[in-house]
Amino acid sequence: MLSILKQWIMTGNLSEQITVNNNGKVEAAYKTFSRIKDINPRTRKALSRSLLIRHLDTGSCNAEEAEILALSNPIYDITRFGIDFTASPRHADVLTVSGPVTRHLKIAMERTYEAMPEPKIVVAIGDGACTGSLYNKTYACLGKVDQFIPIDIYIPGDPPSPTQILEGLLLCKMLLAEKEKKNG
Amino acid sequence: MKTKNINKEYLQAEIDFIHKDHNLDASFITMFATDERPLNLGFKVYTVFLFKNPTSILTLSTQLDQEEPAYPAISLKIPQANWYEREIHDLFGITPCGIDLDPLVLHRDWHRGKNFPMRKDFHIDTPMPISEVPHEFSNQPHAEGMNQIAVGPIHAGIIEPGHLRFCTIGEKVLKFDAQLFYTHKGIEKMAEGKTIDEALNLAEHVCGMCSYAHSTAFCQAIETLTQNHIPIRASYIRTICLELERISSHLFDLSSICSAGGFGFGGIHAARLREIIMRVIYKITGHRFFRGLNEPGGLKKDISDALLKELLFEIKDFKAKFKDWEKLVMNNDSFLDRLEGTGALTKEQAITLGIVGPPARASGINRDIRRDFTYETYKKYMPKITTYEEGDALARTKIRIDEIYESIELLKNLIQAVPSGHILNRTPFQFSEPQTSIGIVESAKGELIHSLMITPENKIYRWHVRSASYMNWRGMVQATMANNILPDGPLVNKSFNLCYACVDR
Repeated sequence: MLSILKQWIMTGNLSEQITVNNNGKVEAAYKTFSRIKDINPRTRKALSRSLLIRHLDTGSCNAEEAEILALSNPIYDITRFGIDFTASPRHADVLTVSGPVTRHLKIAMERTYEAMPEPKIVVAIGDGACTGSLYNKTYACLGKVDQFIPIDIYIPGDPPSPTQILEGLLLCKMLLAEKEKKNG
Repeated sequence: MKTKNINKEYLQAEIDFIHKDHNLDASFITMFATDERPLNLGFKVYTVFLFKNPTSILTLSTQLDQEEPAYPAISLKIPQANWYEREIHDLFGITPCGIDLDPLVLHRDWHRGKNFPMRKDFHIDTPMPISEVPHEFSNQPHAEGMNQIAVGPIHAGIIEPGHLRFCTIGEKVLKFDAQLFYTHKGIEKMAEGKTIDEALNLAEHVCGMCSYAHSTAFCQAIETLTQNHIPIRASYIRTICLELERISSHLFDLSSICSAGGFGFGGIHAARLREIIMRVIYKITGHRFFRGLNEPGGLKKDISDALLKELLFEIKDFKAKFKDWEKLVMNNDSFLDRLEGTGALTKEQAITLGIVGPPARASGINRDIRRDFTYETYKKYMPKITTYEEGDALARTKIRIDEIYESIELLKNLIQAVPSGHILNRTPFQFSEPQTSIGIVESAKGELIHSLMITPENKIYRWHVRSASYMNWRGMVQATMANNILPDGPLVNKSFNLCYACVDR
């Protein structure tokens, strides 16, 4: 117990500053406890909400999964933004998809999408999901994701770095607020 | 590498002889089929053995009939060949006679019996209808009081897809089985007809966690073929990168083990250490997963001496941090109690199933390609191989910690000894007929084997990847059934921490 406490005190807070790119301009740089300054009230309200994510691997090379998992380490510490991963698509606001769609996972992917409540946001992470990447169409690989389900945000990269993924997820919050406003 | 042609009638007897003779000290490492009908050679099955004393590779090639290819199954003699033979049956329509041929790579809705995707006359993007067929495991018992618990293919955590089925009585796991190959993309088929550079790019994208080991194995297969000795500087840098990848992958595994064992604090800190290593990798190579660094004959880009000096400093700093972490975790009694005795795999089971890598060494098998079939600069800087006898989750954790320390020591010696010089030797191809070649690397998860067949026009004719996880999956299934309860399932899974992507391809 004491050793855990010692490690905790010795290591300290390692979380890093993240910049949010809103409408083309870098609006805010906010640190550990999400203290948002100089940001317009609407964006601020959208960012202050929580977001639950369900991740879906549709045939990626597991580099994307490693980078998404890295988001939960203390350096990126995704929970300080109110973002967390959920076990079921029925609780999720956002579905993140990585990798080109394989034949064996097409049905599972469509079912996961259907199981999500409205409004749905789908994020394609990595070149595989965005464009199909260098994987040609084969008997088992069907290519990019937006042929099958609509995608709201693309985060390209081979794989995208955790910071890029985090930026994309913060953008999801604003998109979610917009979608809810539209739906009334 | 020696190649021996052998008649299919004698294949079983020959393999039995090689496998059972202790003086030869041979191990079966891979098996793949080719469709050489366009070259008028019919179908062929290649079986590859690695001899330890003296170190050499023997390939047995067996020519089969063009119309109805079949041969007596070798998994009757070597049980670990079972998955290979089922894969060959699925993809090539070659029948290994005498064994149960459940579908493996292609799922049950595939129209079996007429569509064989790896045959040369099957067009690459032939659309196949997708229908839903419930997964039924033929060997799952059904009786009163037994529960079937299905997990996946979409898991609760952020891991890759696979369908797992537990059969339990109360809390105890009676039977466990896995249906994999959900992420099967047909990468081997994609590579056919491509140039070597294009295929190398694909090789880097087979798996993210061990992408550098994949590209090194691929390059080695080509370098063996052209008898190209890569420049010494390139060889040193490759070894440094391989060891860095080992540290990063082992830290990922340790983090997962801690989280699955209910010790979140340790897991989070291992993840922090991994991020430090990932940033070091990014700083020196320009990519967090070493992509775009390797090239047949050496390296695409050099790592400057200043960066290597910085790496040395970082590694020393990392060692101190890792020591703190080890002290924290290895003195936590409740966590150690959770790991001890969980998912034990005995040495006999491990040998029968052909387990490789850290799980094999945790079960008492003294096997490491870095020493047994040495490559790059491992001949000069031989790692110390540690083994444990217990074969449980604790042994698999300890072995990873030991290997990280060993890698740190290796890195320190290597970085200080990197010679100056050029980094690329290009050797042209001059062959009159197709050539086969094999590249073997000890990736973080175990031995990784790339088998290549190249046409005289420098195009890929056939490429087969056998990753370490391909062998270890059956070990994981066996270990889950070894007197465990259901909540042990995730912990046993994480203590093996297998890739899905490089098994499925």
